[in-house]
Amino acid sequence: MNPWLLASIVLAFCLIPCGIAAFRGSPVDRLLGLEMGGVIVSMFFITFSETLGNPNFYDLALACALMAFGGGLVFARFLERWL
Amino acid sequence: MTAISILLGFSVVVCVICCLALALFRDFYVRLHYLAPVTTIAFVPLLIAVVIREGAGQAAMKSILVFAALLLINAVLTHATARADRVRKLGHWTADPNEQIPGSSVPRS
Repeated sequence: MNPWLLASIVLAFCLIPCGIAAFRGSPVDRLLGLEMGGVIVSMFFITFSETLGNPNFYDLALACALMAFGGGLVFARFLERWL
Repeated sequence: MTAISILLGFSVVVCVICCLALALFRDFYVRLHYLAPVTTIAFVPLLIAVVIREGAGQAAMKSILVFAALLLINAVLTHATARADRVRKLGHWTADPNEQIPGSSVPRS
């Protein structure tokens, strides 16, 4: 099996513990699952891009990393002040 | 087994360990620390594997860009999350004068 495909599959399964963390505990505890998920998805898109040989997925990885930052920061500020 | 396989394997194993630790540990600050190895220890071998396979091209440049973005983003996000947790618990995020800080050997005046 192609090592890039294998890495993509394992990284996709890594989202399961992130999902478990995001569904359990206090709101701030759940935020950790979301943040870890954003990083893992970015890495997944890079390995998946190499699997398919399609460099367009690199843009998706970059967009995902930046969106995870925005989303995580907004959640953190909301949890700090209002929620 | 090629160098790419070894690098990818190392990267993925670090990701798996950190994700499992995030799901299994209970303490918030312990779990918060497991965000860092994914963006540093796990991402660098992945980056090297991409550069080995693709060479100095578009893919390598974009991977480096993603790595740089995640490196900066993760530090800010970790600080913001820890601060949010502390503000929710204490109402402020600065240390109290008489607060006992775990692991700190310097007594606070």
